[in-house]
Amino acid sequence: MSQTIWTRTLTWFDGVRRSVCRVGWPATDKDRAAAMISSLFLHIHPARVSRHVLKPTYTFALGLISAILFVVLSVTGLALMFYYVPYPAEAYRSMKDLQFVVTFGIVLRNIHRWSAHAMVGVVFLHMCRVFWTGSYKRPREFNWVVGVLLLLLTLGLSFTGYLLPWDQLAFWAITVGTNIAAYAPVVGDQVKFLLLGGHVIGATTLLRFYVLHCVMLPLAMLLLISLHVWRVRKDGLSGAENHASPTEELAGVFPASTKTYGLMAISKRPQASVEARDPNDEVFAWPHLLYRELLIALAVIVVLHVVSLVFMAPLEEMADPTRTPNPAKAPWYFLGLQELVSYSALVGGVVVPTLLALALLILPYLDRGTSGSGRWFAPERRIANTIFTAVAAAFVGLIVIGTFFRGPNWAWVWPWK
Amino acid sequence: MTNDRVPPSGLPDPVRRSLFALGGLGLGAATVGFLAATFRFLVPNVLYEPSRRFAVGPASDFPPGSGTFLPDRRLYVFNSADGFYAISSVCTHLGCNVKHIGRGFECPCHGSQFDENGQVVHGPAPKALAWYALSLSPRAQLVVDLDQPVSPEFRLRA
Repeated sequence: MSQTIWTRTLTWFDGVRRSVCRVGWPATDKDRAAAMISSLFLHIHPARVSRHVLKPTYTFALGLISAILFVVLSVTGLALMFYYVPYPAEAYRSMKDLQFVVTFGIVLRNIHRWSAHAMVGVVFLHMCRVFWTGSYKRPREFNWVVGVLLLLLTLGLSFTGYLLPWDQLAFWAITVGTNIAAYAPVVGDQVKFLLLGGHVIGATTLLRFYVLHCVMLPLAMLLLISLHVWRVRKDGLSGAENHASPTEELAGVFPASTKTYGLMAISKRPQASVEARDPNDEVFAWPHLLYRELLIALAVIVVLHVVSLVFMAPLEEMADPTRTPNPAKAPWYFLGLQELVSYSALVGGVVVPTLLALALLILPYLDRGTSGSGRWFAPERRIANTIFTAVAAAFVGLIVIGTFFRGPNWAWVWPWK
Repeated sequence: MTNDRVPPSGLPDPVRRSLFALGGLGLGAATVGFLAATFRFLVPNVLYEPSRRFAVGPASDFPPGSGTFLPDRRLYVFNSADGFYAISSVCTHLGCNVKHIGRGFECPCHGSQFDENGQVVHGPAPKALAWYALSLSPRAQLVVDLDQPVSPEFRLRA
């Protein structure tokens, strides 16, 4: 009798479990495919992936790490919003509260801060990887454009977040940053006025940056990340076609092997054709891809915690518009621009950033050759790689100079002295 | 009627193309209008910041030959032999406060130097420090108007 009740209870629980998650722990290949396809959250993965995708030395997981950092930033940012008040003196006091009064407040703030810095760096490295492997070539041109927009959004999010602590560091970095924006021709002053909500950085500015930082830019980011990932899912990872197994290479000799699927009433076109892929080159995303993603997410979270327990996010004294610190520096990722602006306002503040952004946006439509895609430093892309590497290195060099080699009055200093 | 109006489903097209275009145009116009309104909405009509026109004290507070720094106003007020004048302390480079050193001004942030009239002596500042109009209120107070920039020839004779 009790046995029956026990079995029935188990069956009942199993029914509930099935109503939530229709596939159990996958034991067969069919279930492994179903696990990916039937879940809203997992179906951004294909059911099966090329072995090439799993090679860590091809992507270094930089796109994945950027996405993980975005999730970490969203979660910690939401938590910080429970204590943060976006009004000048109150804002600074809530930072002090987070540091000294709120349990785990300082850890959350440190994780948020260091993740933000890391994200700027990782997104930049991700762009370098995509360039060096020629992965922006057809059919992925537009996804490169989306990626550039995501880089700009990352910088925008970081910049708007920089003001929120309302300390001297924040205030003067934003002063310098918005003044660089004001150098834009014709509309520069109006852009600055709109951004600040007035002539000077004050309560309106803080509120504007807060709304941009907490709502507008993250929503735009979420939308573009979805588009970015969806297109990767549709186009596949670059380079998989270069790592064809011997059977696939024969496809050039024999008639192309394609399967056709009739889509019946869905489409007017009679059929969609999908290239037949070599099943031997592919493994199931469950568990091979998922397992690696989990490990990387864990590693990122562990590193963030260690860094956040050792290094404190900076918080200087409260913002004082009458007292300029010497030197006053923009956030580090804009110090390359500030270094250029220290030579010429027009060149550093307008010409270089505009040309850089435009060049990045139209790059895949200028460099249209399709050879050398999907491999690191392909010899046929030597010129493109050299130009890109030189520009990227120059930019990093300028940031290093602005960060470490510039002291009071923007004079040259040696960082070890 | 041509056959392309009748899809494979056999049902007639529920909407004429012209009506579809009209609807699309209407929606587009509404979107543009909304964006324009939002843009205007974001331009503040009232600024809760210090007034751009303010009194800095009685003229007698600024003795002849003196130069006074008003940190809250980010402004220098001078009283020379031929009258009063005011020069902004906001560096035209990236907005730091310049310091009055010797006869000129120096910016602590990026090393810009200006002469006694605020003209650039040494970069990276792209233009001269701003001069603002001074006037005398009925109660003999010196009044500065930040919305009224003037040339370095400006002097207020008290």
